[in-house]
Amino acid sequence: MGVVLGYIATLGVYFCTYNIFALGLNIQFGYAGILDFTVITFMAMGGYMAGVASLGPSQPGSGIYYILGLSLPWPLALLIGAAAAGALGYAVGLIALRRLRSDYLAIVTLAAGSIVLGIVGNSNGLFDGFEGLVGVPQPFAGVLNLSPNSYTLFFLGMCAVIMVICWLVANRIYNSPLGRTMRAIREDLDVAEAYGKRTFRVRMTAMVTGCVFVGIGGVLTIWFITALAPAGWGTSETFVVWAALIVGGRGNNLGAVVGSFLVAVLFNEATRFLPAIPSFPSLIPEIRNMCIGALVILTLWFRPQGVIGERKARFFEVPLRTDSLDLAPAPAAASTN
Amino acid sequence: MSGSSPAPQPAARPAPQPAGQKVVDEILEVHDLVRSFGGVRALTGCSFGVERGSITALIGPNGAGKTTLVNVVAGAIRPQGGKVLFDGRDITGRPSHEVALGGLIRTFQISREYPAMTVLENLMVSPQRQAGEKLATVLFRPGKFRAEERAHVQRAVEVLAEFGLYGKRNDYARALSGGQKRLLELARAVMADPKMLVLDEPMAGINPALIERLADHISRLRDERGTTFLMVEHNLDVVEKMCDRAIVMAVGQTLATGTMAELRGNSEVVSAYLTGGVVEVGAKG
Repeated sequence: MGVVLGYIATLGVYFCTYNIFALGLNIQFGYAGILDFTVITFMAMGGYMAGVASLGPSQPGSGIYYILGLSLPWPLALLIGAAAAGALGYAVGLIALRRLRSDYLAIVTLAAGSIVLGIVGNSNGLFDGFEGLVGVPQPFAGVLNLSPNSYTLFFLGMCAVIMVICWLVANRIYNSPLGRTMRAIREDLDVAEAYGKRTFRVRMTAMVTGCVFVGIGGVLTIWFITALAPAGWGTSETFVVWAALIVGGRGNNLGAVVGSFLVAVLFNEATRFLPAIPSFPSLIPEIRNMCIGALVILTLWFRPQGVIGERKARFFEVPLRTDSLDLAPAPAAASTN
Repeated sequence: MSGSSPAPQPAARPAPQPAGQKVVDEILEVHDLVRSFGGVRALTGCSFGVERGSITALIGPNGAGKTTLVNVVAGAIRPQGGKVLFDGRDITGRPSHEVALGGLIRTFQISREYPAMTVLENLMVSPQRQAGEKLATVLFRPGKFRAEERAHVQRAVEVLAEFGLYGKRNDYARALSGGQKRLLELARAVMADPKMLVLDEPMAGINPALIERLADHISRLRDERGTTFLMVEHNLDVVEKMCDRAIVMAVGQTLATGTMAELRGNSEVVSAYLTGGVVEVGAKG
């Protein structure tokens, strides 16, 4: 029983972290139209920095080398991880957002991700190269002394709280004039610029905010599995987050939630129950990616807006005085309201 | 020119001579703008002034450099030489958003609404310097922009009613007809509360009845709000009816400025601009 509960709690944690990734990507792509093809790099940045902030100093004899090693309490590690991801997002934004749009911007983000992966993987002194960080302390683990399954449940609660906060922040941005300006820039950057919007600054805000979200998800990830290595944040992981957002519905945070459930939990996990094929041990993860790919294609084909598409914005209006109503054009257009 | 008066008349003279012998309040002054794209010299020393509160037309044959001029004035393209003064400030080469924040809003030759946003939302984007556009305000002081937001909604609804788009306010902008998109374009610009509107072919591709309505809206805005208009327009009947003055451009320069009646008598203009239609209009008048 405890095992099943622990398994469900594990799925719950994955759901929460992917949900936070998807919300972050939604702010970048769904709101502001920034094609960030290296989402997972910011997750790694958040995770690594939180890891080295909470780990003790690197021991020369242990064979594990990393920077900092500050032994900080978890809230500070969370802040450092989120801030580091945001800072990396700012740096990438400086290069990518000033002059580039859509496809060229996507290429730059992809290149930036490869550069970061190359640097992190090949410099052993940074985050221990391709070996990665291990033994990252978990929040409250030492205090609570819970069994692994109970701790997973506790951690799920913590993730859920952080996810809800992220959700509320993302929604508040969406419904604010800032979110509206982001969407206007997504729709037509030149026009928004011609209406006095500082498009570079607004897009940068979306970029950095999204990266901070993804970084927070990364911190939760490294806390949960207590380790992180470059193999865990390859391009295919970015693809999973994108798939979640596209399937769920870009521009709608509820869509991001549905998508993370469908893609990150259902498809990611269900494929684990497929019978192993002894002659092809690596086939199951590949089948997973194939299934997600097929899901994306089907979505784009039959429901391009996603399961839950972007909704129309509604405003509270005081009814107009009837004498000022001009009903001259198109009387057939009896719009809802 | 048959006029015998030696009085200064900047209207009919080519560009080189700086404008401004007459004391008129010019909200926009353009001096000797130069801009080429590779080997194409789109602007070759273009100069003119637009009087505050006027409706001025910018006419000229295709390829005369009108759209380039609009882009340079609005900050979308940097000039390679010359100067643009708006409302007494030098805005030469300033980025578009700065020009817009200064009170000069331009529209585009093809309608460019925000397609996946509602008509009402299209207008709600326009007000400048909204308090709720700052992340810190949105996150920590949402109360600060609520009242402002409510006022914007109210005003947007009123503007939509003025333009006959009230019934469409909750439709996606992409679902509007071509003519309605033109109206939306103007309504959206009004919502930004500009001192001056530069319209790039606002009447292109719409039916005569709607042209009339758009023309009425433009005249009304000028009269009610004192907005200055500079509009690129090919339909000379429209220009004749609604514009105070017209600026004629050809091969990247200002050829002449004046009322349509004056321009019709100007053989330089007639021979440069000339299409059969213009001769006919001239002959009738």
